[in-house]
Amino acid sequence: MADRTGRYLYAIGRGIDEEEIAGTPGLRAAPLRVVEHRGLAAVVSDVDLDEFGEGGLRRNLEDLQWLEDVARTHDAVVRAATAFGPTAPLRLATVCFDDDQVRSRMDQWHAPLVRALDRVDGRVEFSVKAYAAQPEPAGQAAPAATGPGAGAAYLQRRKEETLRREMAGQDAARDAEELYTVLAEHAVAGRRLQPQDPRLTRHEGTMVLNAAYLVDADEPFADTVDGAVDRWPGLQVEVNGPWPPYSFATLEEQ
Amino acid sequence: MTSTSVASRARTNLPQDVALVDLLDRLLGTGVVLAGDVVVSLAGVDLVRIRLQALLMTVRGSEEEL
Repeated sequence: MADRTGRYLYAIGRGIDEEEIAGTPGLRAAPLRVVEHRGLAAVVSDVDLDEFGEGGLRRNLEDLQWLEDVARTHDAVVRAATAFGPTAPLRLATVCFDDDQVRSRMDQWHAPLVRALDRVDGRVEFSVKAYAAQPEPAGQAAPAATGPGAGAAYLQRRKEETLRREMAGQDAARDAEELYTVLAEHAVAGRRLQPQDPRLTRHEGTMVLNAAYLVDADEPFADTVDGAVDRWPGLQVEVNGPWPPYSFATLEEQ
Repeated sequence: MTSTSVASRARTNLPQDVALVDLLDRLLGTGVVLAGDVVVSLAGVDLVRIRLQALLMTVRGSEEEL
């Protein structure tokens, strides 16, 4: 009989104390464990492979409630790990068969992991999203419903409206670019993520910037953003953080 | 609604306040990618994201109809 238990990997860091992190529950309330290897510490917990094996994941990743539970638990564990030192969060649903396989990954990726941890040491991530403020609707002068020239006037208004929207879109894109660049001066690194679909954000404006910044932990980055946004009245800006350095603990190919 | 007030109001560091979509941006789109032993063949992030987006939209859509 194959063992139906796997090891779910949350994060790899340094100096993570197993007893201290045990206060944070793992997935399905399983206790967290720390697998130490060559100066690195992987936070893991046992998961049932019926749920987290290939078939289970394939099925469960389509269940939004399942996904949200797992994502929030994963995030809580990653945040707990950051209390001990630099932490590289793993992507959701990284599952190995046993501790030896976990150590083997730590061997294989040792040098890039060390570089990633050095890069994020003492630093946190902030999210900055900008939305194009809704353009004012054009003047609603009552159109002459009939009479000569009514159709042409209508087409002309449509044309002007389209042009106005295009220009507003270009302005917002340029503003977002400037905002991204200005904020990057206060950060160690910046990265642009794909703008989120308005149906997911439920924000009335179009997202024109979805950025992540890696900043020194003592940098008052949110205040910097608050102080800067007035320069771009056409943007609505949201700053969110600090996050664990999800977007910056990436491994370069060996 | 001024941009400043949005910036202030949206600031948070409480995990439960974090929007699921922001979390998934990071948990699926970034982070350390080590191939585990369990390889979901749709581990191709893009495919997962596309499916999630469809899923999230379905859920949000039905909420709005209530």
